[in-house]
Amino acid sequence: MHEPVIAIRSLKLDRGGRAVLDGLDLEVRAGEVHALLGGNGAGKSTTLAAILGFLKPGSGSIHVGGHCPSREPDEVRRAIAFLPENVALYEHLSAWENLSYFLSLAGETREPAAMEQALNAVQLHAQAWNTRAGGFSKGMRQKTAIALALLRRTPILLLDEPTTGLDPAATHEFNRLLGAQRDRGVAVLMVTHDLLGAAQVADRISMLRGGRVVREWTASPGPERFALAPLYQAFTGESAQ
Amino acid sequence: MKRAILVARGELTLLLRSRVAALGLGTLLALSAIAAATSYAHMAGERSVRSAQQQATDDLFAAQPARHPHRVVHYGSFAHRPLGVLAAFDPGVDRYTGTTLYLEGHRQNAAAFGAARESSGLIRFGELTPAFVLQVLTPLLLVFMGFPMVARERENGSLVPLRALGVQPGELLLGKALALAALAALAMLPTVAALAAASLLAPTEAIGAGMIALAYALYLLVWVVLIVAVSGLCHRSRTALVTLVAVWAGMTIVVPRLAADIASRTAPQPSRIENDLALQTDLRRIGDSHDPNDPFFADFRRRTLQQFGVARIEDLPLNYRGLVSLEGEALTSRLFVQYALKTMGIQRRQVTLMDRFAVLSPALAARRVSMAAAGTDLENHWRFLQQAEAFRFDMVQRLNRLHAEAVDFADDSARSRDAASERRSRVGAGNWAAIPDFRFVPDTPAGRLAAAGNSFGMLLAWLCLALALGGLAARRMRAEGP
Repeated sequence: MHEPVIAIRSLKLDRGGRAVLDGLDLEVRAGEVHALLGGNGAGKSTTLAAILGFLKPGSGSIHVGGHCPSREPDEVRRAIAFLPENVALYEHLSAWENLSYFLSLAGETREPAAMEQALNAVQLHAQAWNTRAGGFSKGMRQKTAIALALLRRTPILLLDEPTTGLDPAATHEFNRLLGAQRDRGVAVLMVTHDLLGAAQVADRISMLRGGRVVREWTASPGPERFALAPLYQAFTGESAQ
Repeated sequence: MKRAILVARGELTLLLRSRVAALGLGTLLALSAIAAATSYAHMAGERSVRSAQQQATDDLFAAQPARHPHRVVHYGSFAHRPLGVLAAFDPGVDRYTGTTLYLEGHRQNAAAFGAARESSGLIRFGELTPAFVLQVLTPLLLVFMGFPMVARERENGSLVPLRALGVQPGELLLGKALALAALAALAMLPTVAALAAASLLAPTEAIGAGMIALAYALYLLVWVVLIVAVSGLCHRSRTALVTLVAVWAGMTIVVPRLAADIASRTAPQPSRIENDLALQTDLRRIGDSHDPNDPFFADFRRRTLQQFGVARIEDLPLNYRGLVSLEGEALTSRLFVQYALKTMGIQRRQVTLMDRFAVLSPALAARRVSMAAAGTDLENHWRFLQQAEAFRFDMVQRLNRLHAEAVDFADDSARSRDAASERRSRVGAGNWAAIPDFRFVPDTPAGRLAAAGNSFGMLLAWLCLALALGGLAARRMRAEGP
């Protein structure tokens, strides 16, 4: 078993005088897709912000690839490709130019062949590559952002509601890409509301409630990876609460 | 720095691809070019008219026939304030102060023929000078181009991904500021070209041109940093726009207007009529040289007779009338200078008060530097008035001396009733050409630089303030999460 790439221990974090994370423990290992499920206000986005070093914990610890995000944010961010829920592309730039721009800001350059490969992998129509992103649908934006995440070739992928706005075929393709990343040894932490989607692709699912993980399920081998009924029951129960 | 340059390039690409931004920038460039060209043409015409008028005045004065010197005292002369080449950039107070002085004996006239007085009030609406474009219009364009630069990233949700890529808030703000500064530099281009051309035309004005370019570069840099900082502090670009337009209106329109009103109320200047009445009252107190019973001139007569050891004015070796004119002019001139200094003192207090308002508006500091460098500020006008008064006094006293030395007292006394005496009391035409012409000596570049020192300091203080605001924006952005 791999060492955890992301290790969060007893994390407490307040925002606006409210305890958003309250003793969170979470681990994500290399070659693992870990889905973090939870209702609104459960602390999912705050967890991602803390991992990226945007928010400083009150107590507890976070380690990302051996680095502390609040002390070494640059090292941590170099190791992470982050896909936000609402993908923001520069509308005056084409998909291709967006990728080049974001990569150059990350201090990285990729050969055109690699860019083509990534855009093909996310199944963005070739006509859209050189079209300004202002006219893109949400799905097209999402695909461009996923292509960027793939091109970053980081050991960690942080995904915030990644399949929102994708049609079923694109979601299927996305899951396949995620599987490929896992096989490459990438650690994936995915924040989602999509229980069924998570069950299809995740190796582990953690249920977040009140700022802490209250249940955790590990995928079993075989086609029925998770028993959906208890998962659904826990999720809807959690949502109801 | 590399990331900041990348951000700047990205922002410039956006601006270049945006038709609105291109249109705005194109309009500003056209305005700058038109302002530089029309202002230069107008000022070049004005400069040559004033120079020709001064020459004509000097020629007419020298070409007078043989005359009694006191007639020449009243014939007088004119002093025209010359314009430097940089006046085309910033005409300053030139249009309001009057440009021509009629110089004659016993009187100190006010400057006349200010363009604002000679034309309808509409001149205020027709003025388009490079200084106005840079002081007022360019900041407004920068506001419209720059207000969404950072706030838009936040609104679109691209701020967090950018930061997740490792882009620091400071790098982002610096990149945006670089892009906006590039636009500001482009907007300054026609003016800088015009200033360079002016420096080639008149190399002595190169330092002044450099001062103007530096002051406006600093001024626009203050705006650039301020705009980016406000955009970084506001969560919505709409809020940033409203805030920045309010700041623009306050700094370029309200504060300068308010400063002028407050300065003139705090240090009120008597009206021309009040001033003239007070001066006439004081003149009457000195005495009347034509009244034999006037105590002052009776005493002067006694002292003069004593000095030359004679009993009657007819026995004096010099023309007593000329001596009285010399004494009278010295006394009245002292009073003129005293009144002029009092007026300048009041105006200087007003200027000092206005300068203090630069704490609220960097436009006032930039304007002060550009007027000082262009030689179109009040300081330069006072310099002209003082030099013209010194010239007037010297000219009149030379003529009075001629009156005392070259005109016989008996002829002088009888000239109104005896044609031969009148002829003999005239002095040769060659004497008029011997009186030097009026030549205005403007302040040296070093002097102008010294006069603008405080305003440069104020612009630097504004830059520090804007940078501090930028630092605050960066700190707040660092604390923001998804």
